[in-house]
Amino acid sequence: MKGFLSASWRIARKDLRIELRTKEVVVTTGLFALLVVVLSSLAFYLSKGLAQRIAPGVLWVAIAFSGIMAVGRSWERERDHQVLRALLLAPIPRGALFVGKLLANLLFVFAIEAIVLPLTALFFHVDLLPILPMLLALLALGTLGFVAAGTLFGALSARSSSARDLVLSLVVFPLIAPALLGAVVATRDLFAGASFWELLGWLRALVAFDLIFLAAGVTLFDPLLAD
Amino acid sequence: MSADATMPFTTVRTEGLTKLYGRTPALVAVNAELRAGEVTVIEGANGSGKSTLVQLLAQLARPTRGSIGYGQLTGADARRHIGLLAHAPMLYPDLTGLENLGLFASLYGVGGGLSAIRERFELGSFAERPVRTCSRGQLQRLALARALMPKPALLLLDEPSTGLDVRGVDRLASVIGEERERGAIVALVTHDAPFAERLADRRLRLDRGRLQEAA
Repeated sequence: MKGFLSASWRIARKDLRIELRTKEVVVTTGLFALLVVVLSSLAFYLSKGLAQRIAPGVLWVAIAFSGIMAVGRSWERERDHQVLRALLLAPIPRGALFVGKLLANLLFVFAIEAIVLPLTALFFHVDLLPILPMLLALLALGTLGFVAAGTLFGALSARSSSARDLVLSLVVFPLIAPALLGAVVATRDLFAGASFWELLGWLRALVAFDLIFLAAGVTLFDPLLAD
Repeated sequence: MSADATMPFTTVRTEGLTKLYGRTPALVAVNAELRAGEVTVIEGANGSGKSTLVQLLAQLARPTRGSIGYGQLTGADARRHIGLLAHAPMLYPDLTGLENLGLFASLYGVGGGLSAIRERFELGSFAERPVRTCSRGQLQRLALARALMPKPALLLLDEPSTGLDVRGVDRLASVIGEERERGAIVALVTHDAPFAERLADRRLRLDRGRLQEAA
């Protein structure tokens, strides 16, 4: 287990080092997310009350699309110079490679959320402070699910450039739909004043989804990559 | 050359090795043996299955049927002793050469630090630059260091001389010769006939996925 976690951390640290140097993933996808929030605020802002009602949808659309883009770009790095082959050849459990990529991708998406969340609150007149702990929990659980799914199937795109868009549209988006629906509805209810107990069902559903995709990632990563 | 007694395996055997992509056969029932201390050149036209065979030997793909034996080792235990050098360097362009080698050294559990690796492979100051700024020859030296760092028992070379100048090809041939002397099993796929002629101890010819001859 120690070797598994150690290998995962080395993979994640490598991705973070490259990102700190190039800033390619967070800046480009973060700007896209920012654009979604700004354009939505201009297009949908009719009144303060209505803005608060559409804010959860705007928030999750920005996060989901920029997040999937971030995961795709992260896997593109493994395709450049065919580095993925060298990683797959390394004597580490291939599940550790999945966990390492997942960890790095999560940090990229959390960084994007750190930009998007305050701006959404600003543009859509949402008072974040009273709901912040619960909102952060929803963001963390919702993000973990779709990033895990994206990381698992994004690896296929790193092996085959021709399948990249097909994998995203046919596999990843339908798979992450339940998690995103849960996250959006729970965030909507939270913005409308729902209590922890009223949101508990959604939280449980998101945890279940996360566990399924974590387990699937660790166990299916190796067979999925062996063509 | 007799095999090094410290090598974890001294032969690699394929039995009935078959790989289908959909219904298209890339390899059909290949029975072959690669031996320690020998350079086995794998020949064949484009699409004959050479690179598929290398992919299977490196455990980067799974056979549809048949098996590959690496002595008593399987899975990651066998992978630890496999080195792969191809035309692509398999290094991160935005990391320096040393950062790349440091990453792979840590994944393989190769100790001794980066200065030891640098000394062993005689890497110049270019190893401190991002890989994307390196010339083809420099990339090949870094890729060689990556492939040879774990002292592999099985060294797989897939078109390694493509794009190299005469000096680079000479250096590569010299390194392959050293690996053979060390007792490694060397499998070389190349279209460079003089290069193959210079190094081959044995030749395997593939034709549309079938092994035609073993001379």
